[in-house]
Amino acid sequence: MGAHGVKPTGQTAAVATTMPVTPDRGEDGKPFVGPEDLKDFDPAVSLAQPSEYPFTRGIHREMYRKRLWTMRQFAGFGSAQQTNERFKYLLAHGQTGLSTAFDLPTLMGRDSDDLLSLGEVGRCGVAISSLDDMRRLFDGIDLGQVSTSMTINAPAAILLAFYIAVAKEQGVPLDQLRGTLQNDILKEFHSQNEYVFPPPPSVRLVIDTIEYGTQCTPQWNTVSISGYHIREAGATAAQELAFTLADGMAYVEESIKRGLDVDAVAKRLSFFFDVHNDFFEEIAKFRAARRIWAKVMRHKYKAKNERSWWLRTHAQTAGVSLTEQQPMNNVVRVAYQALAAVLGGTQSLHTNSYDETLALPSENAVKVALRTQQVLAYETNVTQIVDPLGGSYFIEKLTDEIEAKAEAIFKEIDAMGGVLPAIDRGYFRRAIAESALQQAREYESGQAIMVGVNKFREEQGKPIEILQVDQATEDEQVARLKELKKNRDAARHKAALEKVRQSAGDGENMMPSLIEAAEADATVGEMMATMQTVFGSYDGGPEW
Amino acid sequence: MSKQPYRILLAKIGLDGHDRGVKVLARSFRDAGHDVIYTGLWQTAQATMCAAMQEDVDVVGVSLLSAAHMTIMPEVLKWRKQYGIEHVPVVLGGIIPVQDYDAMRKMGVAALFNPGSSIEEILKEFSRLAAEASHGTLEEVQAGYTTGDQVALAKLITHIQRDTDGNGWAPPAGDALVLGITGSPGVGKSSFIDKLGRELRSRNLRVAVVAVDPSSPLTGGALLGDRLRMMSGSPDENFFIRSLSSGTVLGGLGPKAKEVVSLLSGFGFDIILLETVGAGQSDVAVRELARHTLLLLMPDSGDSIQFSKAGLMEIATCFVLNKCDLEGADRTLAHLATAVGGDRPLWKVSTLHNEGIDKVADWVVAQR
Repeated sequence: MGAHGVKPTGQTAAVATTMPVTPDRGEDGKPFVGPEDLKDFDPAVSLAQPSEYPFTRGIHREMYRKRLWTMRQFAGFGSAQQTNERFKYLLAHGQTGLSTAFDLPTLMGRDSDDLLSLGEVGRCGVAISSLDDMRRLFDGIDLGQVSTSMTINAPAAILLAFYIAVAKEQGVPLDQLRGTLQNDILKEFHSQNEYVFPPPPSVRLVIDTIEYGTQCTPQWNTVSISGYHIREAGATAAQELAFTLADGMAYVEESIKRGLDVDAVAKRLSFFFDVHNDFFEEIAKFRAARRIWAKVMRHKYKAKNERSWWLRTHAQTAGVSLTEQQPMNNVVRVAYQALAAVLGGTQSLHTNSYDETLALPSENAVKVALRTQQVLAYETNVTQIVDPLGGSYFIEKLTDEIEAKAEAIFKEIDAMGGVLPAIDRGYFRRAIAESALQQAREYESGQAIMVGVNKFREEQGKPIEILQVDQATEDEQVARLKELKKNRDAARHKAALEKVRQSAGDGENMMPSLIEAAEADATVGEMMATMQTVFGSYDGGPEW
Repeated sequence: MSKQPYRILLAKIGLDGHDRGVKVLARSFRDAGHDVIYTGLWQTAQATMCAAMQEDVDVVGVSLLSAAHMTIMPEVLKWRKQYGIEHVPVVLGGIIPVQDYDAMRKMGVAALFNPGSSIEEILKEFSRLAAEASHGTLEEVQAGYTTGDQVALAKLITHIQRDTDGNGWAPPAGDALVLGITGSPGVGKSSFIDKLGRELRSRNLRVAVVAVDPSSPLTGGALLGDRLRMMSGSPDENFFIRSLSSGTVLGGLGPKAKEVVSLLSGFGFDIILLETVGAGQSDVAVRELARHTLLLLMPDSGDSIQFSKAGLMEIATCFVLNKCDLEGADRTLAHLATAVGGDRPLWKVSTLHNEGIDKVADWVVAQR
């Protein structure tokens, strides 16, 4: 009988009530951490106060009291018009920033009518092949008023060109554009595989957008340096942290090589981390990230402006932690992960929907995810005190440990000559694949537990309702694109693509010619193919 | 574990780049002692099934997380039929809503796995299906081979590799030019072979590739990954690629490499490109089979020194400096020219930009 005379329900088999000890937690066998474990810890050096270097405790003094994190739910599916409706729905329900998910063809720089796009148009995000599509996506939304995040990498410069062209049409001055381009090609080579060109010209394109941003769109975050995909592909928390910051340093170094002022570049760099299940480790990861970045920006790259030392970050709850089995359990996982991100001091947050292992989220699931953030923000009072775990023996020890692990990884990467040579050797892919295999083995052996999957299993219940994108979307999109290709000004289109080819070859900044090509109705696929004639394509390097 | 390793092909089809699951599976199958052919990202259904046919695999596993399964799987099954390999079971894993399971099964998908499926369960199902896979009787496939049936050729290679004694049958003598291609990991052997093979195909020559990857000395399993670099163009029956594992004999070319080459030659291929791991005894073994051994190098790799120590510079009869789009190419080329001397050919190639491949092809054609 239960404690209150209530019969326990559910699982009837005997369940062990002792917990296995996580190997990297309490290796000395102690169930608690005390001052003796933090002998070299000096709060004045390692912590300071929130808003003070090295920003371990946060970049702002009042944090969420003054400004809540941005609730930014990633959305996009089907046609530009369908996503436009979802955007308006989210804005109407209190979301404060837009976040665009593109479909796979767009992410790979291919048009909706490409042979390899078959069956994938509008499935995992919105299909954008042309300026006309982008115009429909933001129809009735004032680009001077919203902050827009675009999750796009290999063709990022082209999608930015479309956005800028729409802003110009709306009459919005470019220096008022606010938002973020993911534009982090390095992590594509490590993990997400949405690369097209070889690493050197890919990085050059990123630096082109950074340079253009410093001149024309000063409020726009040109790169969102992402650990999310690295983690989702199987990296450990320390690998996620180290690989991401190493990528960030590579962009800073390349920008300096381009002759850009480090302070102009740094303030427009933002980060994007995963937030996984290991609650305290995740909090420590965010804290260590801020501390490491502040140190390297200040001392290694000699940034003078204090804002350049800030690591501003977006966070998303861990997609890989969600389960198809008993999907409502995902609501709980997401809530704990969201709490960790907030205790870690994130600037913006996406909470996953409980049905995302099955399909794109349904409207109802998206609403629950957004409400999860709202409950956290408005009901729990965690917003009232900055870095409430700061000074905890355990959290400080974990923060130091994860920083030390990251430092060791930086040394390995440096020894290979930096991030690009390490990619050439397959270092990142190999390391991530090995970690993924290790984790798979832990779940396989039962050493790690996933509730509802390798413990507390149930017979599969009734399938939940999921979002279906019908084939008609693809057919309509392809038809509209064919129409566009037929009706555009052929001579202007040809001349614009020739300019793209020239600037790719000449090494000048690609942005002006891409914007011009966008305005001449050149498509994503055409611009990518044109650049490919100069840049070549990448086969993924030695490791797979 | 079975007496022989199973041959399993794992494929990603379409633009979906989520490869965590497929990589974990590939390694798990290897660790269970099987040969795994992974065809890499961004393949078409047709290229995947052409590979399945040429590799004569026991099971094809498709991984899809892009929600395109209702479009892609019918294509896969259509091409399975077209290539005459309906005996090969196709299984599907990834993000497949339960609502679609019935449709998938009705279509002919042999098994379905979701993110919660355990590796053990997947392995068990693959093994069950592989154990039932049919490679025809030796006599049947020999008869098919003589009629020019490529499915029979692929199956015959499996038979020759697996059976210790044949039935006295021998393929007709062929006159293929056999070219060994070697070099250290990372110099781009497979991508180079892909481009060279396609260049030779454009000159109407029938090309076969035998790509040897090492087996794990512990489990006997192997990750056969060369093929994924050789799938740049559309599938082509006269560009026949076969991946082999070296077996547990250290540095070997795998069981019956010589017989496999004879089978390909007798089948009518004009050129056979034999890719090896580029270390130790395999290169000596290549020399016995190949008329020429081509050593692939890259700029500033320091390999010229390393290789001359290993004796590879002496074994090679011709040289390609690949990746000449990289810095330092001319310097390395000058060093190499001195080391090679004047009597053996040396070419400058950029596989990335498809430059210099035609010159190598000219020379290959002239050797026939």
